[in-house]
Amino acid sequence: LGNAAGALVFPLVAILISFAIGAVIMLATGNNPIEAYGALLRGAFGSPLAVGRTLLNATPLIFTGLAVAVAFRAGLFNIGGEGQFFIGAITAAVAGVYLGSLGVFGMVLALAACVVTGFLWGAIPGFLKAYFGAHEVITTIMLNFVAIYLATYLALNPFRSEGLVPGTEAIDLTARIPFLGLGLGRANYGFVFGLVAALLVYLFLWRTKRGFEIRAVGLSPGAASYAGMRIGVNTVLALAIGGSLAALGGGEEVLGVYGKMSIPFVQYVGFNGIGVALLGRNHPAGVVLGALLFGGLAAGAQEMQFATDVPLQLATVIGAIILLLVTATKLVELIVGKRARALASGTHLEKGLGQ
Amino acid sequence: VDDILTSLGTLLASTIRNATPLIFAALGGMFSERSGVVNIGLEGLMLISAFAGVVGAFISGSALVGLGFGLAAGLIFALIHALMCITFEADQIISGTAINLLALGGTGFLMVLIFGSGGTSPRVSGFKEVAIPLLSDIPLIGPALFNQSLLVYLMYALIPITWFVVFRTPFGLRLRATGEVPEAVDTAGVSVARIRYYGVALSGLLAALGGVYLSMGILSAFTENMTVGRGFIALAALIFGRWNPIGAAGAALLFGFGLAVSFQVPQEAVPIEFIQMFPYVLTIVALAGFGGRAIAPAAIGRPYRKE
Repeated sequence: LGNAAGALVFPLVAILISFAIGAVIMLATGNNPIEAYGALLRGAFGSPLAVGRTLLNATPLIFTGLAVAVAFRAGLFNIGGEGQFFIGAITAAVAGVYLGSLGVFGMVLALAACVVTGFLWGAIPGFLKAYFGAHEVITTIMLNFVAIYLATYLALNPFRSEGLVPGTEAIDLTARIPFLGLGLGRANYGFVFGLVAALLVYLFLWRTKRGFEIRAVGLSPGAASYAGMRIGVNTVLALAIGGSLAALGGGEEVLGVYGKMSIPFVQYVGFNGIGVALLGRNHPAGVVLGALLFGGLAAGAQEMQFATDVPLQLATVIGAIILLLVTATKLVELIVGKRARALASGTHLEKGLGQ
Repeated sequence: VDDILTSLGTLLASTIRNATPLIFAALGGMFSERSGVVNIGLEGLMLISAFAGVVGAFISGSALVGLGFGLAAGLIFALIHALMCITFEADQIISGTAINLLALGGTGFLMVLIFGSGGTSPRVSGFKEVAIPLLSDIPLIGPALFNQSLLVYLMYALIPITWFVVFRTPFGLRLRATGEVPEAVDTAGVSVARIRYYGVALSGLLAALGGVYLSMGILSAFTENMTVGRGFIALAALIFGRWNPIGAAGAALLFGFGLAVSFQVPQEAVPIEFIQMFPYVLTIVALAGFGGRAIAPAAIGRPYRKE
């Protein structure tokens, strides 16, 4: 197995087994898997409109996936994407309303505001980890709920619209992220922003000194510290950058898709970002591919439900099974032999939660 | 004065009802985490059991059969988590997250298949309140504590039982040792994997009790995503209670009180969202070490490999 091919083993095993389990479920519920998967594929990639739906669904996942990947490269698990996404959404919703009269410039400022609030919010668990030893997995989980309730409070109280739908006011149309056109339906430039973000993350991590430090701290904190790198600073920075990225995802959903933040808002984009990142082995290019797979699943599910009797929730189930299997070292070992452990480097943090 | 007593009694009863699913799930999480397996899938374990309980009661017309279905579902999902974490050495955090998403998607999927549509299931027979003679006549606390469903009484009993099992039995000793120094347990000839399977399985059964109580003790129906973060509040209670049954139950009572208050305080006084944040903020504070740091079992989160 070459290195590049080896990198694909974990995602491929997870994807193939998940789709096989999906097929068994379809058979068990009296459906033809070929027909159902055919409809799913058609709904995801069968026409320009379908591709547009896939891009639309993939866009926020690129951002929340990158949020996980950057932290992972520093040896940290960022489970806080869900909350950071909500922080970005409320930031963009409020900034969009107040800056809407500035048009495109207002949109850019609103996204910039997401970068700032996401950075500050993401820095909290980094700070707590670096200076108080609080494990980032638990603090980011807890902060998810704090963020969701905070954003909900803001959208329903100080910034509530006069309208009947609970949530913030609609943002001026000129300050929304424009559609891509090309017959892609409602897909918007947010997808392009996502690609640019992935490229920037790649350049940052592999072409800058700071990025090198973050990866060094992730690979071997002891060695990095011995080489004079400051673990604390890099920890805070990696989680804060992750916060900015996930917040941009929330901002994109508000400015590009809904035009406001209604309550309840889109859920599980942050959690699905974890699957996207691991499927993409925490590499920006992999994250984009992972987001397209998850986005395609979500986009095709409607068509699958329409063409067959398979409820669209099966797509969520398949996505969950992929996540369940994507880090299963021993399972891959059963299939490709002992080499699996060496190939696990992109998906595993070799550490526990104890302090 | 009577009015104040009545509303205090209502608040106390509501605290118990809100704390019960949290206590079950927190006690469950303790068995898993004490054995060294992180369980952030408590939310999903509760959700799938809440659903399975309602399905069982719907098919059979019996709440007890429903309970059986719920326990089975919780056990199966917990064993999936155990298989992934212990046998396949998957990442425990990722597996737990997947369990949550699987329960969410799975219950949504099965709602459509079994009941024809998402949203809320038909009403089923649930667990009704059973007043304990004499005790329920005590003023104020009597009706609040001793006029509850059988599952609540089971919860009262499980707190000391769990404490006893964990701190006073050979199994409890092995469980704790497996979470702290698995190498020593292995050297003593005890299978680390087996103890961890027991721990995770118990977490599934206990979380299932919490889920079934939600759908069949408080309501008598299943609503999609009806746990709304309760599994994570239970996780918070477990950490805030320092992985100790008594501490976790105490924290869960406090958080249950918060939930009970949030349903009664007018929005103008304290916004409900700030009360809802409270357990999570408190847990972060505890983890950061203000007022004595919360420290997890030493080997938690790491798969055990024989050298």
